[in-house]
Amino acid sequence: MIRALAIGFLIAVLLAALLPARYEKQFRDSPNAGPSRQFPLGTDDLGRDRLSRLIYGTRVSLLLATAAALLSCAVAAALGGIAGLGIADTVIVGAADLFLSLPWLFLLLMVRACLPLNVSPMVSVTITFLLLGALGWAAPARVVRAAVRKLSVSDFMLQARATGCPQWRLLWRHLMPNAMPILLAQLWITIPAYVLAESTLGMLGLGVMEPLPSWGNLLRELEGGGIAGHPWLLAPVLLLAAVVGSFQAVVEREDYSV
Amino acid sequence: MLVVKHFARIAVLVVAAGLSCALLVKYAPGTSVDEREVDRRLSEESIRELRSNKAQNTDIGATLRRYMVDLAHGNLGFSQSNNAPIAALIADRAPATLRELAIGLAGGWLFGLALAIPKRGFSVVAGLLLSLPTALIAYLCLLEGAKSYLVLVIILAPRIFRFARNLLAQASSAPHVEMARARGVTEARILMAHVFPAITPQLIALAATSVAMAIGAAIPIEAICDVPGLGRLAWNAAMARDLPLLVNLTMLVAIATTAATAVSEMANPQ
Repeated sequence: MIRALAIGFLIAVLLAALLPARYEKQFRDSPNAGPSRQFPLGTDDLGRDRLSRLIYGTRVSLLLATAAALLSCAVAAALGGIAGLGIADTVIVGAADLFLSLPWLFLLLMVRACLPLNVSPMVSVTITFLLLGALGWAAPARVVRAAVRKLSVSDFMLQARATGCPQWRLLWRHLMPNAMPILLAQLWITIPAYVLAESTLGMLGLGVMEPLPSWGNLLRELEGGGIAGHPWLLAPVLLLAAVVGSFQAVVEREDYSV
Repeated sequence: MLVVKHFARIAVLVVAAGLSCALLVKYAPGTSVDEREVDRRLSEESIRELRSNKAQNTDIGATLRRYMVDLAHGNLGFSQSNNAPIAALIADRAPATLRELAIGLAGGWLFGLALAIPKRGFSVVAGLLLSLPTALIAYLCLLEGAKSYLVLVIILAPRIFRFARNLLAQASSAPHVEMARARGVTEARILMAHVFPAITPQLIALAATSVAMAIGAAIPIEAICDVPGLGRLAWNAAMARDLPLLVNLTMLVAIATTAATAVSEMANPQ
């Protein structure tokens, strides 16, 4: 499953270089065109090729979600690790509790709505990425903290301490490699959650801004209605479901126990 | 003692959430701007008064002090964007959201748990529903004319199903359950006498989490399905940078979420 995801990811990145047309190119003489040899998924109301936008949007959403997940997992590893070792534990746990006292989607929508909306596409990508990364650290940090606490009193750590192993080596050689599976599991859980969060933000007009495509703003096209007569409009939905489903299957099948 | 500790925790978290929200709105770009200022019908005096009101609300310390004093008198403040007292707005919108949450949670639990009991089935549908964003499910349901609480049921049921099925599978393979099965005890009795008691603590914890999930999902659902509830009110307040209303709603959500967690922890101290 991981291989299938990796191949899908690579295809999304590489195919963007071989796009049939630029994602923002408007074919003014064929707006709202149905599927054809030139436009396999048709064109939108501005005459933009839907397939090109879908491929490029896949790249944007996957890269954005992965980058945001890496950011939040890095923050979670640092803060959770520090708290697990007993340093500033109360402060970090308190901050995590504060973040977790509000539902994730509520927090995300409220904070995003308070930030500038009329911005360039690249700024909107940066805001979305930073927001997801910065707001999603609390739950993984609690998991990492619990794992580090468990590991730091384990037999092999005790033995390493008894043999005079220096503190840095304890952390680098013993604690971190053993905490890695937990962190990896958090990463696999976080990426699909962020893909879905970006899609919800995009559908509400708070995600990546036009003309840059992402799964969120591609799904927004469904709001115009007419799915019944135009089943190809569901292509982003199917792709999104396949990718997120694959991530969930990875989390369920792999063993990430400490 | 445990109750006091939980109350203290809720109070601290709720005040911290309100303060964080106030700070966020105060420093959000564009907070000082009020679109009504460009209304040509307003006189200089009216615009000055608008600015003065806005300045009062953006002074966090003063706002919180005033808020606490007013709260003691049962006054939650005034919403500039809705031009109405906040207490009246919340009282007006709360029934729709509470009804939606109650039906959504009840339905989500009923379907999630009922579908989790058989050892097979629904996994693919649950996986598909879990792979779609809340806003999309809300939109697709809206196209089919479904009510907002049904959307919440569709969003919550697969999440509850996934957790419940994992818990049931673990509990069903315990040695004492295998022994009961070998002795010919009926599946229904095994479920009621052995499996459910074993997973009750986890289910109670899941109940608290499902409340948070339902509240979180209420905003996009109400925004898309145009439900006049608290979720839509919060959405509009955030878009209009209505500080007093947003602080009240954030604190209300924080109270609901932390209270649900506290109740689940008190019911299950382990």
